[in-house]
Amino acid sequence: MAKGRELKGRIKSVENTRKITRTMEMVATSKMKRAQDRVVAARPYARALGEVIASLYSPELAERFPLLRQPEREGRAAVILLTSNRGLAGAFNANLIKEARTLLARLESAGTTVELHVVGKKGVGYFGYVGRALATTRTDLTDRPTAADAASLVDGLIGRFTTGELDAVYVVGSRFNSVLSTPPTADRILPVTPPAATGAQKDYLLFPSAETILTELLPSYVRNAVYRALVETAAAEQAARRTAMKSATDNAGEMLNLLRRTYNRARQAQITQEIAEIVGGASALQG
Amino acid sequence: MSRALKVSVISPEATLFEGEAPSVIAPAFDGEVGILPQHAPMVTTLGRGVLRVGEGTTRFQIEGGFLQVVDDVVRIVTEHATKV
Repeated sequence: MAKGRELKGRIKSVENTRKITRTMEMVATSKMKRAQDRVVAARPYARALGEVIASLYSPELAERFPLLRQPEREGRAAVILLTSNRGLAGAFNANLIKEARTLLARLESAGTTVELHVVGKKGVGYFGYVGRALATTRTDLTDRPTAADAASLVDGLIGRFTTGELDAVYVVGSRFNSVLSTPPTADRILPVTPPAATGAQKDYLLFPSAETILTELLPSYVRNAVYRALVETAAAEQAARRTAMKSATDNAGEMLNLLRRTYNRARQAQITQEIAEIVGGASALQG
Repeated sequence: MSRALKVSVISPEATLFEGEAPSVIAPAFDGEVGILPQHAPMVTTLGRGVLRVGEGTTRFQIEGGFLQVVDDVVRIVTEHATKV
């Protein structure tokens, strides 16, 4: 019964794998729900900040703010690529890396010197493998990114943009549209594109002045753009892992059905053969 | 005429407070500022200090950010806020 035992071993192994993928699916589902809540919780802040900046922004004011400066050509740019620390999330990291490579190719063909900042082990691993020099790497961000993480990531770049050392800063991450739609996107966070003003403008009393308020709020706006990218990418990672693990669990189930059917057929064939042998042996003795 | 302010305290991670209050006292960049209903529309930057919402015990330690008043809606938007 050599074949039967072999099949039994395979059935056991697929069952164990399915147990793991099913657990990972459930873990990812619950993590994703919490990450999704954080994406939603981050919206009022972004909205409030955007509204106030939009109501204070005026083209005349813009020329005096380094963060709003629009360089004629991008000589030096920085790209922040957000990836995950862990794998088994389907094409999640591959998609992000592809998006980053497209952006790099586009910038570099326009003659821009690009420095790459990578967050997450997967991205660091990939660019290490292809042998590209990375400006900075971060692998200490958890799946619960905080506003402080975003600040530590981007504050240095804001400073260098202000002094004119950089002409643009991009963030590549996943947008979390819904559980099923998490496309990789590349956003330019510097220079700041002021949000469009909506509705009637109120005549605000401004303390100390529109300029001072903008000076303080623009960096917050940039930091918040990075924070949003971090939370959305974290949520998208869990969504991607959930989808990948769900299809792995389904595939394991299908494979189990096939293996069990083959095993039972082999077992039945063997029993039939044994009975035939016994009957044959008995009739030979009688003869 | 409404007699209460609609107050929300917002940080990047979450909305820390949302509700009605008769008054708000906030640490502006140059000293405390008190807001009562029917205040003129205003935007001011905030310094470091304690934000008090109403007479109760709703207090937050905040640093930086801004306060916006418009039509009896007060929004305190700050990167650093902890409830005390």
